[in-house]
Amino acid sequence: MKFSVRLSIIGLVFIVMFSVVGLRLWFVQIAEGPAIAQAAENQTWLHKVSYAPRGDIYDRNGVLLATSRMVPAVFVDRTFVDPDEREELIQRLSAILGIDAEQLDAMYEEAGINGRFKVAAVPTDLAYQINEQLEELPGVEIAKAPQRVYLSGPTLAHVVGYLGSVGEEDLEKRPDLDPNLRIGKLGVEGYYDELLQGASGVLEYRVYRGEIIDQKPPVEPEQGSSLMLSVDLQLQELVERALEQGIELSNSIKDERRAEGDEEVFNVTESAAAVVLDAQTFEVLAMASVPDFDPQLFDPGISDEQWDELQRIKALSNLAITAAPPASTFKAITYTVFQEEDLPLPEGIEGVDVENRLVNCDGQLELPDLADGSAQVKKDWYYKRFDFGWKDVDGALEVSCNIFFWNVGLGTWRAFKETPRENILQDWAKRLGYGVPTGVDLVGEADGQVPTRELFEELAEEQRATGKVLLHPSRLEQPSPWLGGDLMDFAIGQGFFTATPLQVAVSYAAVVNGGMVKEPRVARGVVAPTGELVEEFTAPVVRLVSISEETRRGLLDGLNAVVNINAGTPDRGTAWRAFENFGPGIDNVGGKTGTSQLSKTEDPHAWFVGVAPLDNPRYIVVVFIKNGGSGGAVAAPVARHILQYLMGNEPTPIVAGEVAD
Amino acid sequence: MTLKTRIREVAVVRRDNRSDRILFGTMLALSGFGLLMIYSATRSSGTFSMERQMVFVAAGLILYFVVSNIDYREYRSLIPVASAITLLVLLLVFLFEPVNGAQRWIDLGFFKLQPAEFAKVVVIVALAGLLSPQHREELGPGFVTWTKVAQAMAIVAIPAIFIYRQPDLGTTLVFGFILFAMLFVAGASWRQMVALAVTAAAGVAAVLRFGLLSAYQMNRIRVLFDPTIDPSGIGYNLRQSKAAIGSGQLFGKGLFQPGTLTDFQYVPEQENDFIFTAVGEQLGFIGGILVLAAFAVIIWRLLVIAANSRDRFGALIASGIAAMVMFHVFVNIGMTVGIMPVTGLPLPFLSQGGSFYLAMALALGIANSIWLMRTPVPGENQLG
Repeated sequence: MKFSVRLSIIGLVFIVMFSVVGLRLWFVQIAEGPAIAQAAENQTWLHKVSYAPRGDIYDRNGVLLATSRMVPAVFVDRTFVDPDEREELIQRLSAILGIDAEQLDAMYEEAGINGRFKVAAVPTDLAYQINEQLEELPGVEIAKAPQRVYLSGPTLAHVVGYLGSVGEEDLEKRPDLDPNLRIGKLGVEGYYDELLQGASGVLEYRVYRGEIIDQKPPVEPEQGSSLMLSVDLQLQELVERALEQGIELSNSIKDERRAEGDEEVFNVTESAAAVVLDAQTFEVLAMASVPDFDPQLFDPGISDEQWDELQRIKALSNLAITAAPPASTFKAITYTVFQEEDLPLPEGIEGVDVENRLVNCDGQLELPDLADGSAQVKKDWYYKRFDFGWKDVDGALEVSCNIFFWNVGLGTWRAFKETPRENILQDWAKRLGYGVPTGVDLVGEADGQVPTRELFEELAEEQRATGKVLLHPSRLEQPSPWLGGDLMDFAIGQGFFTATPLQVAVSYAAVVNGGMVKEPRVARGVVAPTGELVEEFTAPVVRLVSISEETRRGLLDGLNAVVNINAGTPDRGTAWRAFENFGPGIDNVGGKTGTSQLSKTEDPHAWFVGVAPLDNPRYIVVVFIKNGGSGGAVAAPVARHILQYLMGNEPTPIVAGEVAD
Repeated sequence: MTLKTRIREVAVVRRDNRSDRILFGTMLALSGFGLLMIYSATRSSGTFSMERQMVFVAAGLILYFVVSNIDYREYRSLIPVASAITLLVLLLVFLFEPVNGAQRWIDLGFFKLQPAEFAKVVVIVALAGLLSPQHREELGPGFVTWTKVAQAMAIVAIPAIFIYRQPDLGTTLVFGFILFAMLFVAGASWRQMVALAVTAAAGVAAVLRFGLLSAYQMNRIRVLFDPTIDPSGIGYNLRQSKAAIGSGQLFGKGLFQPGTLTDFQYVPEQENDFIFTAVGEQLGFIGGILVLAAFAVIIWRLLVIAANSRDRFGALIASGIAAMVMFHVFVNIGMTVGIMPVTGLPLPFLSQGGSFYLAMALALGIANSIWLMRTPVPGENQLG
């Protein structure tokens, strides 16, 4: 190849290189130019955000629970910090504020070029001191910033919630969120965050050679809306104290049992929850979860040790919206369905009078033909302790007779197995609010679980596919993993069935008010600075379930019998002793005990659901003591204490009731 | 032949040939334009940067005239000495304190010498010496032997490794490009070119595989594909660079206009490696294309000089210089518009920087000397 040809080839390569650069230049300047120009113009404007105070939170009587105070805070604006001064500035600030220099450096880095960030709120005297040194602290300014103040401390903490920094998952849900804001993380603070947040103010300006040369009219921050809760702070305090005493009571009973050599005590009782719901309006009048926490810990900021401690004792989870087996409290629902749907009792079982709808509550149930055809004996909680004899459904509710409700489950199974009516009990449960979140205005509500054949088949499918043990392996060998025993367990609120205390409260409210299911609410509405309710959050009606007045009255009578009948005879309500000293109006209250049987190494959960007044039901009181023991012994006295207060009686001390369920 | 008689011969030749005025005129125009751009990018802190650069431009022009009048053929005998001095000076930089994490400079008090810039010119001359014959008869299809290819690689590799250690990735890459271009022009076979390409690819693979690139160098490459990397470091640099150029659009925002990113000093290192952003923002696409056109004129003249050189030595030097200027322009402007990694290669005649300007003036001076000397003496047999 001739030399000149080689030179020409090199020349061609150079032409190509020039063309590449030229074309790219055309693309950046002509094709994308206008868009880039707009962005470039915008970035010469700097934004200085002033944060709005959050709205206040009041209880139903106008007692202030949470407010915002403007406190001096130290800000750093990187626009005014020369890169050479960065190190020295951070060292100085670290010394003045007592904040770790590394942490300051990380905040500085995160703010980005020309970024402005809040370092920390400071006491007024320190603010004055810093103000005098501003010349040696380039980019530092003192400005007022809102700080959240929780006046009620740990009381109502799970309902009020707390504030935290914007996380990545928050930005996914709300991409427009200012990452420097503090946002609500739990309870009402979380659920109504956008309402409470208000609108940040902004000052836009341009800086040239360290001087502000141009600025737009400032936008003032706007305080967020204030909320009034439906919770009554006084009632709430009483409920929380009652729960704490209930936990103490549970532990003292356990101590006694241990002292007596009982080896079947497994846990220390640590946590509990309670809900007081208005059965007509579905307003939450009190909602407590123990252990609690002080939301003030999170503002201005929580230390790692404090956070770890809260995590360890699980103080942040609201047990009132966490699911557990509802146990015998569910018998009130089974009762309602049994009456409304005329559910059949099974034929050919000893101790069952199908015609007269009676069952012999003598302590044990013999089942001749379970899945494999072998006979099986199921023992009731009072086996060898009491013999209640033949009971109708009202009597069975009163003494919490499992044998009766097992037979309701078995009868339903036999009559409707593999027909469209086979889920009749579960369908009722779902219509009354089980298995889906109630829709309460709080964050993190559990679904609960209503077991059905479909659910079990899905679980079996997953187990076959993944090998993860979700069901007992023997079930997978049956034609269907859903068995008659599962429906029997469901009828007494056990097995794979879970529900939150709030769901239990909603279902009771529905059956005692005649079938109306609403979304429960903890916030009543928005209040004006004058304290006037300017916007009301009415709880929407989810559905109306048809329940006859006869059934409703029968149920209310049965619930009363649980707390108020035949003291001293074996034929007595499971909570009679807990309500012994209720005082006047005992005829107008009712309730139902529950004791969730768990694994063989865990103490049962204690439940009690109270209803009052029975002539025109208004209050539903649900008490749940996790691993607390017997519902009648531990949960019922706590509920009684709360009901005494609600009914205008002097609440008497919380002492042990009788072991039941 | 003594130096005196050679100079006389040059004088004789110069009667017939004139300097390459287009080359010189374009260089002068770019240098003046560069001073204007440096001023526009730094005027908020005064005229110091521009004044300093003016001194280098003046020194560079003197250097250009002096070198123009030296017969480039003299350099062939100086190659061993020049190479040795260059290597020594390249090692000297490691005795000085690093600046921004790099040891590229020799502090002479009034001026920080960056020997790598001059090393480029020395390597070009050395390669030309290796790849051109002393006598016309040696030329033939097999002139570029495998041995010569290996020697050429050694000539480039030794200073390149020193410079790479400084570290200066950009200059190392310039050496590679010059080697490719000069070997091709010198008549290397396709097989030799392929072998060279394979070696280069293996070298790049080894550098990547064994982590010989520092984290910041890797970032500078990765940021081309993912602009979110290192958002307050190199990512910021690139974003501001593109914003400045893109917002200039067709006609630019005008020189010294208030409120531009240049005026706000939003583009880091603007008067140095990112000087093209000042052109793009203030004078737009039109200004940018005119600058590209000016560089195209310089490259064109260098290739014309190569084609008209009286011998292969001169032709190769001119081609090598063309390749060097081309690579600088391509990588530097490519970097500002986000198609090339940020490797620290300045833009010839425009970027602020003394060593680089002097090295460029030296290179073009040598090219002008080749142009002046292009007419062979009757009977001369050195033409290749």
